[in-house]
Formats: sequence, C-alpha cells, structure tokens
Amino acid sequence: MSGARVSALLAGAVFLVASAAPGAELTEVQRRGELIWAADQEGGGPHVFPDPNDPRRLTGFEVEFAELIAGELGVKARFQQGQWDRLPLLLGRAADCVINGIELTPARRRDYRCSRPYFAYALQLIGRRDARPDSLAALGGTGPGGRWRVGVLTGSAAELVMRSRDDLQVEVIGYDGTIDSMEQVASGVLDAAVLDDCIFSFYADRFAGLRAVDRPFSGGLYTVLTAPDTPGLSAAIDEAIGRAIADGRLKALYDRWDLAGRQQMLMLRDAAEIPPARQRTTWELIRETLPLLLTAAGVTVLLSCAAFPVAMLIGLAVAIGRLYGPPALRTVLAGYVEVLRGTPLMLQLYAIFFLLPKVGLALPALAAAIAGLALNYSAYESEIYRAGLKAVPTGQFEAALSLGLSKWQALRHVLVPQAVRIVMPPVTSDFIALFKDTSVCSVITVIELTKRYSVLALSTGRIVELAILTALLYLTMSWPLAVLSRWFERRLERPAGTPH
Amino acid sequence: MITVTSLCKSRSGASVLSDVSLAGAEGTVTALVGASGSGKTTLLRCLNGLETFDAGTLSIAGHRLASGPHAPGVLERLRCDVGMVFQQFNLFPHLSVLANVMLAPQVVQGLPPDEARARALTLLERVGLATHAGNRPETLSGGQQQRVAIARALAMQPRVMLFDEPTSALDPAMTADVLDVIVDLARAGQTMVVVTHDHGFAKRAASWVVELAAGRVARQGPADEML
Repeated sequence: MSGARVSALLAGAVFLVASAAPGAELTEVQRRGELIWAADQEGGGPHVFPDPNDPRRLTGFEVEFAELIAGELGVKARFQQGQWDRLPLLLGRAADCVINGIELTPARRRDYRCSRPYFAYALQLIGRRDARPDSLAALGGTGPGGRWRVGVLTGSAAELVMRSRDDLQVEVIGYDGTIDSMEQVASGVLDAAVLDDCIFSFYADRFAGLRAVDRPFSGGLYTVLTAPDTPGLSAAIDEAIGRAIADGRLKALYDRWDLAGRQQMLMLRDAAEIPPARQRTTWELIRETLPLLLTAAGVTVLLSCAAFPVAMLIGLAVAIGRLYGPPALRTVLAGYVEVLRGTPLMLQLYAIFFLLPKVGLALPALAAAIAGLALNYSAYESEIYRAGLKAVPTGQFEAALSLGLSKWQALRHVLVPQAVRIVMPPVTSDFIALFKDTSVCSVITVIELTKRYSVLALSTGRIVELAILTALLYLTMSWPLAVLSRWFERRLERPAGTPH
Repeated sequence: MITVTSLCKSRSGASVLSDVSLAGAEGTVTALVGASGSGKTTLLRCLNGLETFDAGTLSIAGHRLASGPHAPGVLERLRCDVGMVFQQFNLFPHLSVLANVMLAPQVVQGLPPDEARARALTLLERVGLATHAGNRPETLSGGQQQRVAIARALAMQPRVMLFDEPTSALDPAMTADVLDVIVDLARAGQTMVVVTHDHGFAKRAASWVVELAAGRVARQGPADEML
C-alpha cells in the first residue's frame, strides 16, 4: 500500500473519530492547526483559481475568505481539491468544510450544516452580441432551432432555476466547468448561458463577443457547508463570519476583488432565514429519482451500443490497413493508434466537443460522446484485431489465395472470420470496459447513469440508497449484455453453413 | 500445359532453385521427387505464384509468369486454372465441409448458391465424403480432411492440379484413400504435378518423373524408366 493511501486512510480515521462526539470536530481542527476547506479550482474566478502570475499558487476571493475564517478559528487554511458538484461528498472524509460558491438552498439546509451567508449572488443571462435572445422574456418564445439551448453549471442554482422555469422554451444543458458554457455560447453551439453575475464580470474581457442580456433575474446566497454532525465547527464559522462582517474585513475583501462590498454587506444584513426542506421517505426518494435514473441508464446503453460497433469496424479497418496496406498507410495508421491510445479519453472528448466548433464543426453532445468513445476504443480494438489476424495460420491465407480469391476476398471470407472468433473474449471484455467509460462523457454535458447518480446523491444527500439503486440498474443492464456476449461467442464457434 | 525454363531462385543469398527446366503435357502426371530440401515444394509454390523467382520463365495452363513480383490480377486468373492441395490440408475451420468446397466457386466464379452446392456435393460424393457435408473439418480424420481439400481445389474445375506431399502428414492407414482419389484423377486425364516421397505411388500415378537434388534437376524421364 502506498504512503499516500495510508495517509488518506489515517486522515479518514481521524475524521471519523472526530465526528464521534458533539463539538469534537472543532477541537480536532484546532488540535490539527488546519482548517481543511474544499473547492474546485477548475471552477475558476473570481472564486478559486490558479494565480496567472504563479500557477502553483491559488488565488480568488474565496481563498482569502477561507484564510480569514481559518484565522478566526486560530488555525491555518489548507486547500483540498474536488470536483465542484461532488464537493459535499468530501465532508467528514477529506475536508472540514466546503467554500466554493455553494448556494444556500432548502435541500442543503436539510442535508448539511450551512453557515450564515457570506456572499450574495445574482443569476445573469449571457448571449452573443450579434444574436438573439435579446431579453430574458425572449426565452419564452421559439429559438432559432426550436427550443433555446442554454448552458448552466451542473448542480448549480442556475441549473435548478432554469429547469424549474416551465414558462421558458429552453433545453438546459449542464457543464462541469464554470466557463464551459460561455465557450459554447461564443462558438455558437449554445444560444445562451446562465451563471452567477460575478463570474461573467470576472471573465467578460476574455469573451468580448458575449454580453449580459437583461438585468440579473434571480439571486441567492453563498454558504459554508459542513457535515451534519459538526455543530461546534458550524457555530464557530458563523461567529467568524459575523466578526468579519462587523469589523469591515469582509467588505474590504470584496472591495479588493471589485465585488461591490457595500452592496454585499446590505444584502447579507437583510438575508432572510431559509427553512430546511422536508425529509423524503425511501419510497418517495425512489419514486422521484427512478425516472431520472432510468433515463440516464438509457443514455448509458445508447452510448455503449452506438459507440462500440463503430469502434469495432474502425478497429478492424485499421488493423487490416496496418497489416496489409501500403507502407505509407501503415505509418499513418500506427500514428493514429498511438495518438488515441496515448492520450486520455477525457481529453479527446474535450477536443471533439470544445475545439471542433472553433473550426466550424459543432457536434451535439451525444454525437460527440459517441464519436469520442468510438475513436478512442477503435485504437484498442485495432490492436486486438491485429493480434487476431496474425494468430490465423499463414496456410489459411495461402489456401484462400490458391483457390483464386483476391487478397481482400481472402481477408473477408477466411482471415477476418477466424480472427473475430479468436478475439471475441478480449473484445467482449472491452465492451464492458466501454460500458463503464461512458461515465467520462459527463465532462461534455452528457448525463449518463453515474453522473445522474452523482447529482442526485448530492442534491438529496441520500448517498447509500441511491448508490444501491444505481448499482441495481447497472447490474440489470450488464447482465443481459454478458449473456448476449456469451451467446454471440457460442454462435461464432459454430461453423457457417455457406459462405457469407 | 506446363513449361518451366531455366528457373532460378535464391533465398537470403542461398540458391534454392538453379536452372530448373521441365515440361508437362496436358493429361500427364508429373512427379517431383528428391531428398528433403532439394527444392520440390518451392518449385511447386512457384508454379502457383505463391513464391516469386529470380530468373527464368514459367508457363502453366496458358498463363505466363516472369521473374520478380507478379501482378495480383495475373495470379488470381492463374489460380482459377491451377488448383493446389497442401501437405497440412489448410481447410477453413470456421466453415463446414460443404462450405469449404462451395466458397471459391461462389466468391471467385460468382456461381449461384444452388449451383455451387450441387457442384460441391458431387465432388464430395466423388471423394466419398458426401455424408460429412455438414460437419466441421476438425471432426474428420486427416485422410478425410485431405480428400475434402482435393474436392475444394477441384471445385474451381482447374486445368492443372498441384499436390504438395499430400500424404506425408497422414498415418499409413489413411494414405490409401487419398492416393486412390489422386490415381482416379490421373486416370480421368487431369493434368497434375505431385511432390512426393512415395516412389510406389509415383510409379502408380505418374507418367513423368523429375528428380531434384540441391535445387537442380538431377535427372528426369518416364516414370517406368526412372523408378
């Protein structure tokens, strides 16, 4: 076991022990001398982001805010990286609190401890300068291609608000990165985006072709999230925020970041108490989440069943090209395989979804996901097929040629059918691997089963029940696939009656 | 029907065939004999274009091959007229016995499935294996597999048949049936070239014998004089 893993286990054990007694978690933070706060630096400015002058260092108003709070508790602040929509899952495991633009909502008040607000945000509709929509009201009418395509940050208040607006003709698309939706609006893939106004203000210079459409239309408050069983720590953070507001340090911090400190203080002063949401029963949880999970499971099946046959066909063509094609083609195909095998699937998906629109080829997210999976797996399949073709005895090829078959006819009728039988076990194994890899597609806004689970687990706090439900869905899907694969293997082992 | 003139071939700098010349008339059976490594199989593979040669010319069933690489189209036309049976049978394991025999007529000659099936069944009947048409090749004995391989090559109705030691991979008990099939073909007037170690078989089936030694023709003549 690596040292890092041992450290992680020890840290987890310390967190578990610390949460055993009320108030013990605050004592543990003070004994440790560090307040571990979680955030996603990929989320960007002005919250938390790598310093442009020294990317090894983090900066942002929440970095200063975390240091301020930690200082009030008499300890140092230590940053813990996490993916934004999964940050609360780190509580009690790897972090004491989450400070990263977490909006105060009834569901969060029910499932976690929420501090008193430390920032007031508003939601802003963003569009292109030269295109519709020119107002929020315009989203109530028909968009250029039917419904308006509007990007939001997955799991954010913007997503909640936009999905709840039945009066708007919008297709809401969730992104993992804060500025992803702005990129997609700029490149014309989306019609508009909705995000916190402070984010747009911060990045406005980078997106000169974008504009704020209308005034901010909805708003809320950011809170510091702690685990449900940490009353002592939560109370200490509340007191720290209160002192920072009272003595003007929080206002000064916001002024330094050009975040309208005076206005912030007025809104924080007037912030109303938000009541927690009602706890659902398990049956209610299943009834409410199962349709969403089933839809996402359908996407998982669609991605797998659409991408893998394409991967197999491309892989076979590449393998044949590398073994029997002209030398120049062999070199090109070897490069194709090495590039796709040597770079992460996630990067390839990013390139297809975010970079291709810049050269005028904008694929819908689902098509981009299928293309990315198919291309990535085609490299692996080609190597499997290449090994399979080489495993067929030379005499088989010669016998086919001696009967007058051309090279391609010999491949089609003699070599490839035998190679396919040889490679069925590893190909089946790859299909199951691809089935699981579909979860990576969430980075380009495709919501498949794992992503849906993650979002629901976060929003409901019912991690265990939903994990069981999701696992059952995966089993329900993978078992027939395994049976189908075995049937296909048995079928291929039988001799064909006549040539195909 | 078969003319080989001054054929030379070397591999990795070593001479494999040197100044080989021979001729075989239509309807005759030529036996290639000689010690292991004398170049018999290489010469046979040159006749079917499976190997190239460095010098000389070769003409078989009206197709002429020159030294160096052969164009694919030339070879495909040649192989439609020149069938070959291998030492290790090389039946296609993913196809049934019947499908092995039907494959080339359907794919190469474009024969409709019914006609290809009828032709294949007739040939399997001829080699005594019609009842095994639906079996997988691996369920047959070595001798039976070799007879299927002969039927498969005959399915293209070749003008010349080449046999590369057709019984050397078989137990003595299995060779008789295979040799009987080849002798029957010889009596039916099929032009053939047979690589063999079996002098008894060569004497029984061949009309002309060519003996190779170290890649050269040591001697050649009528079978009853040579053996």
